[in-house]
Order: sequence, then structure tokens, then C-alpha cells
Amino acid sequence: MKLRFYLAMWMAKLSIVALKLTGHNGTDFPGTVALKICPRFMKYVQKPGKIIGITGTNGKTTITNLVIDMLAADGISVLENNKGSNTLSGIVSSFVYGCNAFGTCKYDTAVLEIDERTSRVLFGDLEPDILLINNLTRDSFMRNAHPEFIAKILTDNMPAKTKLILNGDDLITANVAPTNERVYFGIDVMDTDVQKCVNLINDMQICPHCASVLQYEYLRYHHIGKAYCPNCGFKSPECEYRGHDVNLKKMNIKIDTPEGKNTFRLLNENVFNIYNVVALVAVMTELGYKPKKIAELMKGIEIVASRYDVIEVGKYRIVKQMSKEKNALASSRVFDSISTKPNKKELIFAMNCRGDEKTWTENAAWMYDCDFEFLNDDSINNIVCTGPRRYDYKLRLMLAGFDEKKISLAPTELEAAKYLKLEEPEDVYVLYGTITIDIAEQLIPIVEQEIRERGKN
Amino acid sequence: MKIEVLFPEICNLYGDLGNVRYLKQSLDNAVRLSDGAPIYDVEIIETHLTDKPLFLREKPDLIYMGTMTENGQKLVIKKLSQYKEQLKKCIDEGVNFLVTGNAVEVFGNAIIEDGEEVAQGLGLVDIETRRSSLDRYNCLYVGDFDAGDEEPLKVVGYKSLFGFIYGNDVENNEIETVVGYGSNLETKKEGIRINNFVATQLIGPLLPLNPLLTKWYMNVVFEVGFEPACSEAALEAYQARLDEYMTPGKGWKY
Repeated sequence: MKLRFYLAMWMAKLSIVALKLTGHNGTDFPGTVALKICPRFMKYVQKPGKIIGITGTNGKTTITNLVIDMLAADGISVLENNKGSNTLSGIVSSFVYGCNAFGTCKYDTAVLEIDERTSRVLFGDLEPDILLINNLTRDSFMRNAHPEFIAKILTDNMPAKTKLILNGDDLITANVAPTNERVYFGIDVMDTDVQKCVNLINDMQICPHCASVLQYEYLRYHHIGKAYCPNCGFKSPECEYRGHDVNLKKMNIKIDTPEGKNTFRLLNENVFNIYNVVALVAVMTELGYKPKKIAELMKGIEIVASRYDVIEVGKYRIVKQMSKEKNALASSRVFDSISTKPNKKELIFAMNCRGDEKTWTENAAWMYDCDFEFLNDDSINNIVCTGPRRYDYKLRLMLAGFDEKKISLAPTELEAAKYLKLEEPEDVYVLYGTITIDIAEQLIPIVEQEIRERGKN
Repeated sequence: MKIEVLFPEICNLYGDLGNVRYLKQSLDNAVRLSDGAPIYDVEIIETHLTDKPLFLREKPDLIYMGTMTENGQKLVIKKLSQYKEQLKKCIDEGVNFLVTGNAVEVFGNAIIEDGEEVAQGLGLVDIETRRSSLDRYNCLYVGDFDAGDEEPLKVVGYKSLFGFIYGNDVENNEIETVVGYGSNLETKKEGIRINNFVATQLIGPLLPLNPLLTKWYMNVVFEVGFEPACSEAALEAYQARLDEYMTPGKGWKY
């Protein structure tokens, strides 16, 4: 068996050379090659002494990158998979890159983004010392069905030795693998919290023990908040890592940790990213860092521009914002955030799932779980719906009460710019999905050029 | 007019409550076919797991139930088991039911997962569910719907399931699959109809994706005349989807 492993490693290493010669980089191909030859590759490869896993529906890429950047800022290089995918082949690829030809690991620490479903095929052969689960919410239901299903997969496959860092404000996450050692993170009540859910979906409406209706002390969005069961006493856990006093003017947050308190900078005002900061502080503290040191290391890090970026073009701002297709909750958060911005704005919906188009076509039922109602706001002048799902977006927007006159249809994403009104200084949001990052990269310069050509810069 | 929505706190997956919202928005513009009078009294009554169902006190004009989790199915079966006789009476007496996604499974005889029975159903529909705990069956869907005296309709949507339904009542339906999985891997039939109990595994949601079917359903079931909400945009999306799904060579499963 060991021979098969070495053969897999050598062939995978050779494939890296082939990739370089053909101008390809950072793909899962070496992992795919290795798994083809040795399906239990992860069993035999040497692992670093410390393995940190990061999983959950939303934010795992961002947090993984932040942890890697923080450790790099402290001079620590880690084995990571942020150039490939977060599935088994991507993780195997990262080990092919991170080990020598005899399978000896070059690193002391690994920081791995792990797809939730991949835990099923991975955790038998790789046992994280620490696993962060940021949240479990609805995602692509073709693959992930529903969060309860994913929570069960994680619970059923969780290694006994893994210490969990769990979002205590998310009761689906908080109940994963109940026998494992754990700490929780969360954020105290915020000004924007509500007591009754304003979203279309809330996947934690009943008590998981007695099925009584849960009461919420406060709700942040969907099922994220602090809940209790008036019947059996079940309630949200107390959090060891507790964010409070979020200050969006100063862009900072106070966080109490078992190692002390400190103020940390926020990287972005989006609530998702405020949670990401608290989660980041929890991971770094569990790795042995003190709050003061974490705050220092955070000074030099940013969220990667592929997720969010702003480009100034004269009086206009082009806001490049990821809004995951097939992910109702993530898109709802983006729409909610956009609706709170005071500027006049136009939106380009470029979040078609072009990946699905290659084999079948996108299941658009997620749109009816998503809060398009947030976009029914006077500050939005125009929404350009693009590509194969443009008619679905139009219908869903109209059913949300959005004025048909303010909807434009562009046959393809790259034709969207000419449908912009650009009537006054405003923000132009380019919303794109995980599969359409490349399309967004092509579209942004076209929008920029359109603004300049119409003399609006 | 009263529409009872059963257990929306858990029967709400895959956008299925979009069916209820679409009905409400559409019925706001509806008129009675008999005299053209507006329908002003549309009530959506949400029955939660802790409530006594409306159908125990009176006959709702429609009872709707949508997709839920596998654990949710057990809760629903437990809740409805105590009202099995009343539910049977409702079906026998022709009360309108619309049941979408995996909700039909709770009305069957049993739910079998990985070869083992994980839940006994209500036994009101002669089917059993056979599913795997990890396999997903996803497909695009087009079916021919026999609309009685009206022109046949094409029904579009999706399926996203852990398994399929088998049994005698699988043959009781009016939809013949053109693209996608039928009720199971051995049949082209889709859905179940017993009197006015109508069930389909289709999601989409069914009604906003199928404005023509919605119009037919409301005309026949409620005897009301109306244009479905946002009818032009809905028809545009429907036609685009139908053309797309019927394109020769188009993949349909995932």
C-alpha cells in the first residue's frame, strides 16, 4: 500500500511539472492524480504537527485567508489549500505541494479550508486539532440539501480529538458533535438586532429537543441570534469569545476572550465580516496568541479583493461584491447590506451559476428563499439582470414589489454595462457568484469604460 | 376563502413557501367566476406544530404543505398521526390539498432509508419512500399535464431528493414526465392525485414557475378568475425555462 502511495505522490509531483510547462497553476489536478492512484492518500501522507480546519457555509474562505495572513505576518508559513479547492482533491493537492517526494511534510502547521461535506471522506484520515465552524445555513440544496443534513454529516464524522470553535449565535452550528471539546464565539446584542425574524427563512424556529417554539432574546438575521426554549430550558450557549460594542464609525469591536479583553479593528462593516473577526480572534487565541498580539497582527491584513472591492471612477464608485448564487442566506445578507447604504445605486446581477450551465442549468428555487424584498428601496435606480437566469431574477424582483420599470435585461453578463442608466453620481454594484469571479473581473473594466465614455468621470 | 398552511416553521425548504406567497399575491386580484365579484376575504392561516389544525374545525378551501427536513418529516408524522381519521375524511370528501416536494412522503405507508424503515407514515396514500442518507437526486423537470377539457400544459420545475416514492398510488396522477425523473426510477408518471389531494415532488416553487398551471388550478379548484401575479414576467420566465429545458442535448440531472 505504501508503494502505491509513493507512486501517487511521484505522479502527482510530475503533474505539477506538466502544469507549469503548460502554463496552469493552482488547480486540483495533482490531487486528482494522487487520489486516482491511491484513494487513501491522506492516510499515508505525513501531516504537520498542528492542523487547523475551517468549515461552515459562509466565510470559510475569508477566515482561512485571514488566519494564513495573520500567521504569515508573524513569520509562520503554513501548509494551506487556498490556491486549490476545499474538497478532498484540493486538500490532497495542498499536501502534494507541501510535502517532499517521500511524503515528508515541510510544515509544522496546516490551515485548511474544508468543505462541509468533505468531512465525510477526509476526517477518517486527517484529524484536525482545531476545527472552526463559522455557521451552517442554507446553501446549494442540490448538494447540501439543508443545514440539518450538513450538521449531521459533521457530527457523524467528527474525530473525537478535535476541539471545536463554534458560532454560539447559530444554534445549528452550536449543536454539532455535542460530545467534542468546544468553545463558542458570538456577538452581544447590536443596535440593528430585532426580536422577530424579518427574513423569509429561519431554520431554527423550534427547539431541537422538545419541538416547542423557540423565543429569541434578539435575532440578527435568519436564525442567528440568542434563543431559548420556554418549555424545556434549552438555550443558546454562553460564549467564551464574546464580541461587543461594535463601533462602525471607528471600525472596531471589543472582544472578551479567556486570555483577556481587547479592541480589534473591523475589516469590513458587513455583519458576516464582523463575525469573521470574532472567529479569527478565537482561532488565534486557541493557537496560543494573546489578544494584544492578535490586535497588532491584524493591523496589516485585509479581506481578499476577490470578495469585495471598490473602484473609484470620477464621481462614481464601482462596488465589486460577491453574492453567492444558489445561496439564499448569503445573497440576502448582501441585499440587506446594500439597502442600508444611503447612496443612489444601480446593481448588476451577474451571479448566474455558469458552472451549472456546462452540464445542465441552475436550479433557481433558492431565489424564493432569498430576501429580494430588501432591494425594494428608492435608492436603487436600476437592476440589470443578466445571462441565462435574467427572467427568473426579473420575476422574483417583481414579486418582491420592485418596480418593473427599474429592471433591465442583458442577454449576457458582459453586455450589462450598456444597460446602466448612470443618471447621477452613484454606486454601481457588480454582484457575482463563486463561479463568475472571472466574468466579474472582465466586467469591471467594461463598466469603468462605459462610465468614462459617457463622460461621467 | 381560507388557505391553511401546515407547519410553515419547518415545512419551508427549497423556496416552497413561495407557492403560498404567489397564491396570496395572485388571489388579491381574483374575482369569482360566477358573478365577477372580487375575492376580498383571502386568509392565509398558518398552523404550527403547537396548534390545532384548522381542518379539525372547518373545511379550508386549500390545505398546503411544503418540503421539510428528514427530521421534520418525523415531527409532522407524529403531529398528524393524532388527526389521521380527520385527514382521511378531508381527502374522501374532496377537500383541496396541495403537497409539494418531499411532503407527500409523510402521507405514505413508510419511509425507508438505506434499507431500514426510519418512519411509519400516515398511511393515507399507498406509497413508500425509499431513500439513501447521502445520495442526492437532482434534476430539471418538464412534464405533460392533462388539464381535462383544457389544452394540455407543460409543467416545469426541479426535483432535489434523497430518493423516490414507490407504490400503487404512484400511478394516480395526470403528469407524464418528458424531461427529468418520474416519481421513481421505473416510471414516467409524476405526482399523485386522490380526489382533490394533489401531490408532486416538484419544487421550483411550482406555482410561480408555472403561471398557466396556477391559472388552471385556481379556475378549476376555486372557480375564481384571475391573472397570476406578475403574469407577463412569469410567462416570460416560464417560456424561457421551457425552451431551455427542451433544448435537444441539454443535460437534465446533477
